[in-house]
Amino acid sequence: MAGPEIIAEADYLNHPVSLRAQYKQRSLWGDAMRRFSRNRLAMFGLGVLLLLLFLAVFADFITPYPYDQADFSVVNLLPFRDPAHILGADGVGRDYLTRLIYGARTSMLVGLSVPLFAFAIGVPLGAISGFRGGRVDFVVQRIVDIMTAVPPLLFALFLLSLTGSGVGNVIFVLSVTAWIEPTRLTRAQFLTFREKEFVASARAMGASDFRIALQHILPNALTPLLVSFTFAVPAAIFAEAGLSFLGLGITEPTASWGKMVGGGVGNYIRVYYHLALFPTLLVALTMLGFSFVGDGLQEALDPSRSQ
Amino acid sequence: MLRPYDRKPYGIQLLMTGYILQRLVSLFFVLLIVSAIVFVLMNLVPGGPFTLGERGYSEVELANLNRKYGLDVPVPQRYVNFLIGAVQLDFGNSFSVAGRPPVTELIARVWPTTLHLGLYTIIVSFGLGIPMGVVAAYYRNSWIDNFVTFTATLGLTVPNFIIATWLLLVFGFQNGWGAESKWIIPPLFGQGPALLSWDYFLPVLTYALAPLGLVARYTRASVSDALSADYVRTARSKGLSERFIMVRHVMRNALIPMVTVLLPQVPNLLTGSLFIEVVYGVPGLGKFFITSIFNRDYPMIMGLVLLIAAFWGLTYLVTDILYTLIDPRVRVFGRRNA
Amino acid sequence: MFRRRTTLFFVFCILALTLVPLTVSFVGAQDDNVDVYGRPLPEDAAPYEMQTWQNLCNSARTETTLASAVSVYQRICDQNAFDKFGDSLVQLDENLNLTPAAAESWESSEDGLTWTFHLRAGQMWNDGTPLTANDYVATYRYMAEPDHAYDFVWMWNGIIAGWDEAVAGEISTDEIGVAAPDDLTFTVTTAVPFPPLPGTMYFWPPLQAAALEEFGPDYMLDPETSVSSGPFQLVEFVPGDHILLEANPDYTGYRQPYLRQISGIYGDQLNASFLAFQNGDIDAVNYSLLSPADLDIIEADPIMSENYLPNFSDFRTDYLLFDTFNPPFDNVDVRLAFAKALDREAIVANVIGSNLALPAYSFLMPGFPAADTEGELHDIQGYDCDAAKELLAGAGYADGEGFPAVELALRGETESIANRFIASAASISECLNVEITVNNMEYNAYMDALRARPTTIQFGAVSYGMDFLDPANMLGVWVSTGRHSWRNAEFDDLVNEANSLVGDPEARLQMYRDAERILVEDVGGVFLNHRIQGDLIQPYVAGECFRPDAQGVSAIHWGNDWCWGTYYITEEVLNHDTYRTE
Repeated sequence: MAGPEIIAEADYLNHPVSLRAQYKQRSLWGDAMRRFSRNRLAMFGLGVLLLLLFLAVFADFITPYPYDQADFSVVNLLPFRDPAHILGADGVGRDYLTRLIYGARTSMLVGLSVPLFAFAIGVPLGAISGFRGGRVDFVVQRIVDIMTAVPPLLFALFLLSLTGSGVGNVIFVLSVTAWIEPTRLTRAQFLTFREKEFVASARAMGASDFRIALQHILPNALTPLLVSFTFAVPAAIFAEAGLSFLGLGITEPTASWGKMVGGGVGNYIRVYYHLALFPTLLVALTMLGFSFVGDGLQEALDPSRSQ
Repeated sequence: MLRPYDRKPYGIQLLMTGYILQRLVSLFFVLLIVSAIVFVLMNLVPGGPFTLGERGYSEVELANLNRKYGLDVPVPQRYVNFLIGAVQLDFGNSFSVAGRPPVTELIARVWPTTLHLGLYTIIVSFGLGIPMGVVAAYYRNSWIDNFVTFTATLGLTVPNFIIATWLLLVFGFQNGWGAESKWIIPPLFGQGPALLSWDYFLPVLTYALAPLGLVARYTRASVSDALSADYVRTARSKGLSERFIMVRHVMRNALIPMVTVLLPQVPNLLTGSLFIEVVYGVPGLGKFFITSIFNRDYPMIMGLVLLIAAFWGLTYLVTDILYTLIDPRVRVFGRRNA
Repeated sequence: MFRRRTTLFFVFCILALTLVPLTVSFVGAQDDNVDVYGRPLPEDAAPYEMQTWQNLCNSARTETTLASAVSVYQRICDQNAFDKFGDSLVQLDENLNLTPAAAESWESSEDGLTWTFHLRAGQMWNDGTPLTANDYVATYRYMAEPDHAYDFVWMWNGIIAGWDEAVAGEISTDEIGVAAPDDLTFTVTTAVPFPPLPGTMYFWPPLQAAALEEFGPDYMLDPETSVSSGPFQLVEFVPGDHILLEANPDYTGYRQPYLRQISGIYGDQLNASFLAFQNGDIDAVNYSLLSPADLDIIEADPIMSENYLPNFSDFRTDYLLFDTFNPPFDNVDVRLAFAKALDREAIVANVIGSNLALPAYSFLMPGFPAADTEGELHDIQGYDCDAAKELLAGAGYADGEGFPAVELALRGETESIANRFIASAASISECLNVEITVNNMEYNAYMDALRARPTTIQFGAVSYGMDFLDPANMLGVWVSTGRHSWRNAEFDDLVNEANSLVGDPEARLQMYRDAERILVEDVGGVFLNHRIQGDLIQPYVAGECFRPDAQGVSAIHWGNDWCWGTYYITEEVLNHDTYRTE
């Protein structure tokens, strides 16, 4: 609400600054950044995110072993027993710490690709649909209705059975179910904004539809889209983990946290607890991190919202 | 915000009926297309309802098998036959259960378990979530608020199968689902799942965390918005009691956004979560879904998909109607809505 | 006077001497534990009410029948409830020798084309009608019925006369080579001489011809219509919930059970079996439902480790297969390189466990007829990484260069089985520096892909266990009409000839050995391990079947129908908290 700005002004009154600084533009992004950085949870989330990205990118350099190297003498080794395998080993004798780090790579890969594809399809589609309306809008709305009626997991199962397993296929299948949300969101935004005066005035000035969409509406619509993207990433990670947990999706020897959890439940839990415990902790941490970032971003960009 | 001069326009009843009809027709078409898509996909997926034995089958033997399961008929014809049956609510007989009972009978047998769990989940998540949200909104920025927000976020973000895994680590895997020794309240009418059983605790706890988080957050946001509204300050300055304000003004206005977001959770919860049922071994709808897919029980899959899709569609319709009833300024029909 | 008293005394003594034992035995007999057939239970048996056996059935499977003659792959509650409603013609004793069951004797004709089985007299269905050879005839005719589309119909392809034609619908099933000249004689006429025929008869208890005619094959799912000529009868069955069998008091066959009741409860069989066992809810767990974690617990427990009984069961072998019709596996050197790059010993010792498997260098497991017990075939596929590298280099892929990335497809395996194949892939790729990904496909999708012509499985892993105890069965899966994309004319000839060789069993076995050598040398498959299967039973479950056989393993295995006549619960059960006391 009106809080922070008033304080800043008070500060200004007490501590006069140079003329240049006085007229310094306070941009939306600068404001947002500042608000974001003051949100401790959001910064924590950002830290988690950056750590994961680091792990994902530099996995080849920081892991003690290759991710598919099997040492048959340490099958199901419990953690904290052998310094050579500090987090233990899995059922085939692969170092668990290595697998967890490579799992970060899979998660980040899927988590970032799926929303990217989904938004790449959804935003233009939603924009055209919302802006133009008419028949295109009708068709798109119907498709969205239908896709919402099909249980997403079922659809994913079917598609995966058809395409086969593998990271690429998982990304494809998840993207197919993920493009609905950005379409809907963009369409809603465009529907709202096209009635606004500045659009009418731009049109009166002779701007083309495309120009209006790109230069006038999209920047305003960006905020909720950005926030939605930030929440789409953990959703994709969750979906991939869930599918792998059920036994579909990622093939061996690629490491996936979901698959590692799936391989550790059931009877293993009581004895080889590390098989399930560590990947679940990492998934939870990742999801929380993204969540805090998303919340923080939402609050930073649109502080009038009380959540 | 609701203001006294907002009234429902005259003749809304007529519009409402027309709207419902329009929505139902639209739902029918959606179901039709969904059934077509799923039918096609289902038949494209490799494998079939019969086990391809270790030694395989000759051409003739395969033909016999296909004929037995009705798979020798071309796909479009099969789809038409299915539609004819579906309109009469006859989805055929299951391939995978002994005695080949009708699909509807099997669903009726399996769904109550999921419904029980779903109902308890709704009770827990809404019953705890709404008070939590209200309290958090009322005591905004206090430790109560922080606690509620933290719990809500935790429940909402951590996937439920992860939480299930942790709970299993702590409590150990429970077996013997539905055993009479675990009943607390026996089944209604003596048939079906127990009304309350020790079996339900872990699944409901796990399942309720995410909706609890959602409900708490949205309640907090809505109530908090409503609380800080001008008319509340006006009402307070007029000297009206807190309770009157809360109930009459705040809750009523908070209800609107809550309904749009939260009511769609209901069909979700009532059709069960695949993950919960797989991890806890619950013999419910979700697990049945998965086993039907793996066993390629085509009639079962079609029946389940259509049923669930129809369920969701109808619930969305009910949500929209309720939305209209609660907030008379909103007209979801008669004007294009976003 | 004296005389009368003496006479009286003597009379009294005689009466006492006769009456007392009678009274004592009468009173003593009241304490005897007898079963429903009036036989006393063993000394250490628990009271008859506690003679029950409960198991956990799999709620995720397709299950349609209680008789293998109706379906083999869709049996209700696995091995526990099915095929209890009749006796097969033959069965196997603990040393895997064919012994009489419902048939008391059998012989073949001179030309080996007609087999005659003589049924034991006096066998009845529990609805009062006699069991006749006609019931067996009806059963076999039903299996050939085209509309039935039997999932084990391959069993007699080319064996029983007229079978193939009947299945194709060209002739009526009444014309296939099974007949009942009289009520107690059942004859089978084969198209070619087939020495192992009696062994193939063991699988199939009879369906009742009358009930089959009137109600169809589902007659046995409903207690109202179900009839039994076997040791048990159906009491209750709720699909997906539970099943209940009880001893059939009208049974007069060779395996009258001590058990009063067999029951099955449905649940998450894969994950919850061991837990159910530990809770006393079930009486036995098969090795396939025990994870390495469970086995660790069992090993550490003094009681459980004693009650885990290994056996060879169906002599199952895990192996890798190839699409040998297309590169890169069309080159036998490449296949041999893969075979020699596989460190079986280490995988068996560490990943699987030596108590669960034997390293395999050939297809037939030691103990199976014609198996390589001397180890003559070991060196052909034995682990030798250097030789493997040389072979691969010779094939043009020095150090794995240019070798395409291949995918090892698995057939819907559980975690513990999948791990051994993942380990195999790791072993091979590490030695040869090739890239192997592993894809655990669904069972049906895998078999679909495997049998497609051309196959879409370039490199796969699978297992096979016997259907009857003869190399014709095991090696028969490798002939060119089989499921593998591998063809070897010499192998085919040897196997086909041996299949119908009559009169010289030793020569026959030698032909099978030669055929297996060809299979190993031409690397139709890379053999990983032979499974040592087993069952974990409760300490209070006993029976003659559990004592070790000639191989030193317990007698529970394929074909042991007689075992169900020997199981009983000991008094030990009274010290345990089981489902019986709930």
